Amino acid sequence: MPPWKPPDSFAESITMNDHNTGAEPDRPRKSDDKGEPEKKSGIAIAANGLAKTFTSAFGRKRVHALRGVDIEVRAGEIVGILGPNGAGKTTLLKILLGVVSPTAGTAKIQGQPIGQASARKNLGYLPENHRFPPYLTGRQTLDVYGRLSNLEPNIRKERIPRLIEEAGLSAWIDVRVGKYSKGMMQRLGLAQAVLSDPDIVILDEPTDGVDPVGRREIRDRLRDLKSRGKTILINSHLLSEIELICDRVAILNKGEIVRSGSIEDIVTEGSGARLTLQDFPPDLDLSSFSVQVDSSAVQTEIILESGSAELLNALIDVLRASGCSIMTIEKHRHSLEAGFIHIIEQEENEK
Amino acid sequence: MRTLSGSLLLTFRELWAMRITQAVFVVSTIAWLLLTFALNLEIVEGSLAAIRIFGFDSDPTQGVFNPETEEWDQVALGVDQFLMGINVFVFGASYFLGTLLGLFATMPLVSGFLEQGRIDLLLSKPLSRARLLSGHVAGVWLTVLTLASYLVGGVWLSLSIKTGMWQPSLLVAIPIIVVMFCVMYSVIMTISIISRSSGLALVVAYGLIFISAIFAAHDQIVPALAPFAANTFMGMYHALPNFIEVVAIQAQLVQGEAVTTWYPLISSLIFGTVTYGLGYFWFSKRDF
Repeated sequence: MPPWKPPDSFAESITMNDHNTGAEPDRPRKSDDKGEPEKKSGIAIAANGLAKTFTSAFGRKRVHALRGVDIEVRAGEIVGILGPNGAGKTTLLKILLGVVSPTAGTAKIQGQPIGQASARKNLGYLPENHRFPPYLTGRQTLDVYGRLSNLEPNIRKERIPRLIEEAGLSAWIDVRVGKYSKGMMQRLGLAQAVLSDPDIVILDEPTDGVDPVGRREIRDRLRDLKSRGKTILINSHLLSEIELICDRVAILNKGEIVRSGSIEDIVTEGSGARLTLQDFPPDLDLSSFSVQVDSSAVQTEIILESGSAELLNALIDVLRASGCSIMTIEKHRHSLEAGFIHIIEQEENEK
Repeated sequence: MRTLSGSLLLTFRELWAMRITQAVFVVSTIAWLLLTFALNLEIVEGSLAAIRIFGFDSDPTQGVFNPETEEWDQVALGVDQFLMGINVFVFGASYFLGTLLGLFATMPLVSGFLEQGRIDLLLSKPLSRARLLSGHVAGVWLTVLTLASYLVGGVWLSLSIKTGMWQPSLLVAIPIIVVMFCVMYSVIMTISIISRSSGLALVVAYGLIFISAIFAAHDQIVPALAPFAANTFMGMYHALPNFIEVVAIQAQLVQGEAVTTWYPLISSLIFGTVTYGLGYFWFSKRDF
């Protein structure tokens, strides 16, 4: 059986400044001044060497929030940004939005340099813990933010009731948002983010404080956006949510992207294999392998927690020598959460 | 323009959602309803023959010193003098009390505007930071213009109808109140942006108003100072807003007199422009 090497395809979409492998990261394709090539090639977001150092008053304390992040997101993808608290996720999103200026590096959104208003023309954003003015109703809120997005009056008039309805807030459309629950505020926030029908939507903790039903609705909404070709960059602590909706993820730790790839790559990285056997001898000694054995009347399942291809081959040799039949071998899948923790712990140990 | 209107509308609505703004509106309404319905004037040949407030008679005369008899004579009050008196009272109340209350009301506006979860959403919109802040500033100015026009204009209209004397010069109070409020708001805005402390911003703005009362007496103070102190004092006089001295300009304009000096207003405007410029610069550069 060949080793479960992660497929290379993801590297084309998300490149990382990989300090573990020492590999030179793929650089985002350069564009001309107008940025057209990037738009045509379908790259929605491209960042190169983004760094941010926050300095306290009089420069007494310096915090390196980002340390040379490269990221490239293709149009139509849902990409998740993962990382422990203080990893730099929100700083990365804020830099892309022009809210925070980078200390070093460059980034473009649809070919437009970040920081320029034109880069945000086709972009929707839902910040973490967003605060809508409590004295505005749901309708007034979307109307004001629609104006700020330069939406024409007739478009606002048509789109606002529709989005409010899709958010399940029709009965609350003329109620002040100060009376909305956290979940309702999140749904209104999402409606605000997609109000201008942007090509790119950036979401910071969109399901924060939302109940399971509400989370499913938001997930469905995001899938709907993806089906319409929208690019979504999402930052969430809820890894199960990320696992369900994202095509790819990038894991940030201490300001660096330590791993990136498809969900499959992350959940299978460093994991072992699952073997289904028949005629498994109960007295077979497998103590030299880190395995879980689960026998039933019909078959036995062995999970090799982690290890190299050599280890798996050695296990197969022992099993075959004992006379049992190997019915299936497949990669043992972590949950995204387990995969994430594994990667972060590995990073910490290596440092 | 549409994006600017969004930012303006947001601030305008926020101010009108504040109880203090609503209270100023209600007090203004009460003021001119009282003048309209509770005040009765009897005018005979351009002089007030009788003033009745809530049905009670009031003496419509004023004491004038007669140098020949060396006594105070009671003479009938002219309508124009009566209008002037009311105007001075309304202007004084709205200029001093209105500005102090207005600055207090708008104090939390900038810090609310800069709040996490709000400013980052606003900055993610496709408009420049300068335009976003301009909409905010315009919203504040528009609210103050509305309130000042409502109070002063309402009082003027009510009295003009009652007396039949239409003196547009009385309306000069409106632009002066608005302009000087805008000058003082530049302090609130800029210090809030730089320090993120609305309390500090209010203290500095009130402090400048207080200091301007001292500056107003510069003719008497400076001769008593040593040269270095006098130069420092005058340097501050020129650099800081002359909130109190502007009252004299308004009085001269209302009375139809030539304005002795526009300098207090001009220097205040320069101060406001520079302070707004500093606020805009800081806002365009800082991280949120």
